[in-house]
Amino acid sequence: MAAINATDLAKTYRFHRKEPGLFGSLKSLVRRQTLETRAVDGISFGIEAGEVVGFLGPNGAGKTTTLKMLCGLLYPSAGSATVLGHVPARREHAYLRQIALVMGNKNVLAWDIPAYETLLLMKEMYSIPTADFRRRVDELAAMLEVEQLLRVQVRKLSLGERMKMELFANLVHQPAVLFLDEPTIGLDVVSQQRVRDFLRTLNREQGTTILLTSHYMDDIEQLCPRVLVIDHGQLRFDGGLATLVEQATPHKLVSAVFFEPVTDAMLTNVLGDIERRASDDPLRVSLTVPRHEVAAVAGRLLGLGGVADLSIEEAPIDEIIRDMFSAQAVEAKPA
Amino acid sequence: MTLRVIWRHTLMNVMNTIEYRGAFLIYMINVVAGPLVSLLVWLTVSEQGVRLPYDRSQFVTYYVLLSLVSMLTSTWAGGFLAQNIRLGSLSPMLLRPVTPLAGYIGNNLGEKIIKLPLLLPLIAFVALAFRDDLRLPADPLAWLLFGLALPMAAAIAFLLDIVLCSLAFWLDDVWGLLRVKALVGAFLAGQFVPLALFPPELSGFLEAQPFRYTLSFPLEVLTGHLSVAALARGFGWQVAYCVGLWACYRLEWRYGLRSYGAVGA
Repeated sequence: MAAINATDLAKTYRFHRKEPGLFGSLKSLVRRQTLETRAVDGISFGIEAGEVVGFLGPNGAGKTTTLKMLCGLLYPSAGSATVLGHVPARREHAYLRQIALVMGNKNVLAWDIPAYETLLLMKEMYSIPTADFRRRVDELAAMLEVEQLLRVQVRKLSLGERMKMELFANLVHQPAVLFLDEPTIGLDVVSQQRVRDFLRTLNREQGTTILLTSHYMDDIEQLCPRVLVIDHGQLRFDGGLATLVEQATPHKLVSAVFFEPVTDAMLTNVLGDIERRASDDPLRVSLTVPRHEVAAVAGRLLGLGGVADLSIEEAPIDEIIRDMFSAQAVEAKPA
Repeated sequence: MTLRVIWRHTLMNVMNTIEYRGAFLIYMINVVAGPLVSLLVWLTVSEQGVRLPYDRSQFVTYYVLLSLVSMLTSTWAGGFLAQNIRLGSLSPMLLRPVTPLAGYIGNNLGEKIIKLPLLLPLIAFVALAFRDDLRLPADPLAWLLFGLALPMAAAIAFLLDIVLCSLAFWLDDVWGLLRVKALVGAFLAGQFVPLALFPPELSGFLEAQPFRYTLSFPLEVLTGHLSVAALARGFGWQVAYCVGLWACYRLEWRYGLRSYGAVGA
């Protein structure tokens, strides 16, 4: 049985529309226009135990709403979900003991006292025996490299240190399923990398199932062999990151660096109508090449002679995703 | 397990609160100042020859004890709860295998542990100033019954606050309701005027309304104004309000969580 199952999961929010200004406020006192928006529109997927899956989508696509339904924070408007065999919306204690949700912009740590006090609270909440608790604290502190921070007031910690301690507090009960919503938001590159390394180790050593949303494509590339793409509440893609890239971009980037500048006429003669990318370097030629023509174009570039370096790459993943969401380029594919 | 969680919350709140001890001292001066002003007003009225159901000694005893009881039964958890619902910060609490109420109870207890040592010297000072008129009961039974009525009064005040502020699941803002409750509640609890001084025609209403059991009733128990029958009725009301408000809280949360938007993020 899959660890996480969603079947036609949907969530509709109701909200009031108010005209701007004082008149709008007064009008809304007497008459309010209630509107509905379908944040998640009937999505279905399954995630096996031990998988790390990235949840991609533009702002407002329905990622966080889906996570909240899977955690039991929100009641679905339609459809159903099970996580570890439990219905999340029932919020049974036996279920809550096995999951954790870490939100990059929500805190569980008490602000004015050291994080260790929050860990002691977690110990009581999850009835962790003292010996187990000490062992887990030592292990997590070593993995996150925060041994020196446990007894420092939370408000004195840097953003990166705080995020690590948030992860710490949410993981001390060893959840089987971890939901992460923007876990590296606002962190510098070094801290981002440390959090990623930690999550990778956690998944490898404890088999934790991880579903994460992030706007940092490095998070997705480094952690998630599989991605779910959601847009306007609907699942657009479910599969490997490489497949997504292949499907989303029928092109590759081919770059050649020459020992001497190459004239436009020579390039046009050899490349025909292949799209050239702007470059400040007169010795570099960068091309966007259809996948099926990559080998031939590379051969033609080498045929010009004087090639110092040649590279063939996928387009940057964040560029692909940006293009995908701006143009809605991905064809809907049954999940 | 829940008791251990509440205790841990209490300790954390004590540690948190110590960070703001200066602010708490000012709150405590306010807690004593209100009843002291009321006492002085009633003593002045009493000395003008107006016939009142209380004599000077009873006024002094009532208002000296009122500072202590009102602090011990007061609650500010509802405001935090309403804010947590509105801003979505209830979410981390809902994800734990313990009722979120544990955190609010711990917050309340922690606050009292800090306030009590600050408040007691102030009350002792006032008591010393009025020592000739202060009459504390010598009967241990009165103190025993007071010890029973006081935690129930605190529970009723807490649950009233939680039940009212849980309306935040459906309403955008409950602060207006909280303000009305604070004013009406203080009046009907005997904060400004002892309930015994209200017109006799209102006695039935005053006996049945919940705010009496958050403040006035424990004081009435201690100052020995109640007959055995009135005591029994009073404790009956306290138990009924505890059970009834708990049931309201459970019902509100059962349906309220369906409306919870878990905003943010």
